[in-house]
Amino acid sequence: MADKQQSRKEKELGLTGFIVKPMYITMKQFIKAIVNRPQTILYPWEKMALPDAFRARPGLVFDKCIGCGICMRVCPTKCIDLVEVDDLKKAEGEEVKKVKRPRVNVGRCMMCGYCAEYCPTDAMIVTHDYELATYNREDAIFDPYRLQYESRPGLEVHINEVLPSELGKEGVAPRRRTEHKDLPVLEDKKCISCSRCAKDCPVDAVKMVEVGVNEKGRPIKRPVFDAEKCVSCETCVEVCPKDALTMEEVL
Amino acid sequence: MYLDLWGLVGGLVHWLMVDIVGTILDWLHLYALADWLGSPGVLQIVTILVVALIILIVGMLVSITLIWQERKMLGRFMDRVGTQVGPFGLFQNFADAFKVLVKEYIVPNAADRLIYPLAPILIIGVSMAMFVTIPYSQGFYMSDSDLSVILTLAMFGVIPFAVLLGGWASNNKYTLIGGMRAAAQTCAYEVPLLLSVASVVVLTGSLSLNDVVAYQQENVWMVVPLIIGFLVFIISMISEIERVPFDLPEAEAELVEGWGTEYGGMRFGLIMMSEYARAFVGSSLVALLFLGGWAGPTFGIIPEGLWFLLKMFLVFTIFIWARAALPRVRTDQILHICWKRLLPLAAINLFIAVFFKTMGWF
Repeated sequence: MADKQQSRKEKELGLTGFIVKPMYITMKQFIKAIVNRPQTILYPWEKMALPDAFRARPGLVFDKCIGCGICMRVCPTKCIDLVEVDDLKKAEGEEVKKVKRPRVNVGRCMMCGYCAEYCPTDAMIVTHDYELATYNREDAIFDPYRLQYESRPGLEVHINEVLPSELGKEGVAPRRRTEHKDLPVLEDKKCISCSRCAKDCPVDAVKMVEVGVNEKGRPIKRPVFDAEKCVSCETCVEVCPKDALTMEEVL
Repeated sequence: MYLDLWGLVGGLVHWLMVDIVGTILDWLHLYALADWLGSPGVLQIVTILVVALIILIVGMLVSITLIWQERKMLGRFMDRVGTQVGPFGLFQNFADAFKVLVKEYIVPNAADRLIYPLAPILIIGVSMAMFVTIPYSQGFYMSDSDLSVILTLAMFGVIPFAVLLGGWASNNKYTLIGGMRAAAQTCAYEVPLLLSVASVVVLTGSLSLNDVVAYQQENVWMVVPLIIGFLVFIISMISEIERVPFDLPEAEAELVEGWGTEYGGMRFGLIMMSEYARAFVGSSLVALLFLGGWAGPTFGIIPEGLWFLLKMFLVFTIFIWARAALPRVRTDQILHICWKRLLPLAAINLFIAVFFKTMGWF
């Protein structure tokens, strides 16, 4: 019978590798756990220190929100929808307006924070409120009032960018992405001058301008978009009855 | 300093039976009954019963503390917290005991009706009976037999028989394999175990645990001349009480719970308990035979039993450490280790002991 060939390392593994080394490692771990304390966090009594970038359920700053619906469109799980609610009361005697505000089904939310990233006015924020268990599904739906959360600087999330050519240069910090903006573009043939885009624009960036008269003597109106005011929310594209508007990247 | 258990309980029983109950019976004119209760035979029987009860309760409490120590320390070895109920998690074992107490007692259909209920009684009874021979200090013991070392190891020898019976009576493939393995392993490891004990007996010249400890108090702890025997004894003892890395009889990955698979309810709890009772007896044997028992600086204040318990807990810490660190050995490896490694080492150790004795050094 041929002798089994064993490398030197394999032979050494016998006593040191299987007995001495594991004993040493476990004793080291044991002393570490005695001197410090075990890794375990006793959850209901102790809670983890949350990092600043922690993203739990979305929160809403009610007054900042313009009701544009970007959060609703960008949500990957489609858990946000816009509802018409009464505006918060400001002063006595003032008439309470109806406003559009997001409503979030937290049971479906995956806490990605995209709504806060894309919010043009930083009304949508990420919160540290992660204990969201409820007894029924209705309780998991947060209406705009319940969604409110006090904002503080760490909770606002921005999409920051820095150009590759700027990397490594002095004094260049990542900045908010403002230069590239998608704007609605009109296909002139399809427009029927209904001015719904102007009515529904949340920031009043659309103005109807008269460009002539038709054969019946009625004025022909075409929308003009204010690139400064526009927040690229696509509301006008959605409401257009004749699909005359499309979003295009404006460089 | 030590507590004289027999003297204390004897005095207490005498006071209770003669002075209090006897006086009341005399007052009732029941002189014959009072005389019978005060006779030496009755007093001795009651004293023995009370001492046995105290030893059993102390042994059970120490065993339960061992379970707590294992759960807590194993947790630390794995970077966990361990048991949580009560102060330092001390009440967890009592909670578990209450839980298994209220469970239903189920007998499998195919099980042997006679032997299936009998085997756990044998296992638990033998494990608890081993408390009898363990002396905690010069005065705190149940029996001071001249052959207590042999008696303890003989009771260890009954366990594989009972385990095999229980495994066979459950009529389950896992229990049968587990019982076979337990029998093979424990029978094999008794040989190096007894050989290393023999070396201690050769040096101390006595089979009584009290005498062995007294000899070590006067001379030197047996771990110094017989370090090889100490290691062989510890390894064999780990195998004897079926703990990791020699827990083949209840290898969770292969056999569900080994020979105890079919036992449920309080029987399961007591079988678990008896394993730790045997661990207690095993680690106290190591402490008594090799580490000087209750030998230690007492300064006139510290009880001797404290030193013994401290050494016993330290030995059990080594068992826990081995459990945390080492993987389970294979079936062929376990007998290989026993016959090819431990037996020659034990024999060499015995030769060393005989050499020391003939040279007259000890």
